[in-house]
Amino acid sequence: MHEVSIIQNVIEIATQKAFENNFSKINKVSLKIGQLTGVMPESLNFAFDSCIQGTMLEESTLGIEEVDALGKCEACNLQFSISHFNKLCPTCNNFCTSIVRGYELYVDTIEGD
Amino acid sequence: MSEIKVVANILHTNEEITSKNKEVLNEKGIYVINMMSSPGSGKTSLLERVISKLKGQLSIAVIEGDLYTTKDAERIEAQGVPVVQINTGGACHLDGKMIKGALESLNLDNVDLLVIENVGNLVCPAAFELGEDIKITVLSTTEGNDKPLKYPRMFENSGAIILNKLDLLEFTNFNKMEFYNDINALNAHAKIFETSCVKDQGIDDLCFWLSQQIDHKRGGNILCQE
Repeated sequence: MHEVSIIQNVIEIATQKAFENNFSKINKVSLKIGQLTGVMPESLNFAFDSCIQGTMLEESTLGIEEVDALGKCEACNLQFSISHFNKLCPTCNNFCTSIVRGYELYVDTIEGD
Repeated sequence: MSEIKVVANILHTNEEITSKNKEVLNEKGIYVINMMSSPGSGKTSLLERVISKLKGQLSIAVIEGDLYTTKDAERIEAQGVPVVQINTGGACHLDGKMIKGALESLNLDNVDLLVIENVGNLVCPAAFELGEDIKITVLSTTEGNDKPLKYPRMFENSGAIILNKLDLLEFTNFNKMEFYNDINALNAHAKIFETSCVKDQGIDDLCFWLSQQIDHKRGGNILCQE
């Protein structure tokens, strides 16, 4: 996937927020990444280490929280864990009608001084 | 040190542009398809067939995504419908900004159907919304029936899936039963078509269904084929 361009957007978002909050330095950026996005945490870490050079994130660390995927069954309203390959409701065996979460791709928090 | 809650979508730039594209397209009542597949699965051939069957009753426009060439756009142009070429210059998918530029160079008045043929790639295009009404993924029999499980996101997010090159099925080890089982596990709601451009199989069914979708978006005043 697009780990480098994702990290470039992360740097842009974090830098903007840091200015708004009068930070002179960012110590940590935390992301939430849904399990269905196909984005690889290892590749994000690799891209992060390369891309932060010369930015105000230069000495920061990257936190990645993976968000598990949840589907919803229209028949019984149950929300249940899904994966790419299993989206059947555990109680009525219907295919999930909507994916409630699993496609998250966002900057959750930044820490700085 | 302090912590700030941000909650900002990392792909926000694309999504902002895309929602503006969608506004323009919805206002004009244009049904938009984002057509995706591996390179060489037959997207352009399918499009040629569909256009030749539907252009008499619908006004169609096409945006062609390609890394470098205008080969596909030339084939579509030969069908006598407006086409805009986007050359990504090596980038592996189309994004909202590229579509915005292409829309500006198309006359969208009275267009019923806009087909965006994405760059041939089973991975990246799935993650970038373009403002479409439906994603359609094409898989050809020669690629093997294992592809939906190997590249789940694209098949998972598609409203319709076309199994193309049906005429070559007998020369491959493509297992249709496994294909249907896998699609059922990934995306049981997807509409599935089986087509062959060479033998003109399944194209009428596809066209009929597309006409219904377009008709539905426009509020029911376009005649359906058949």
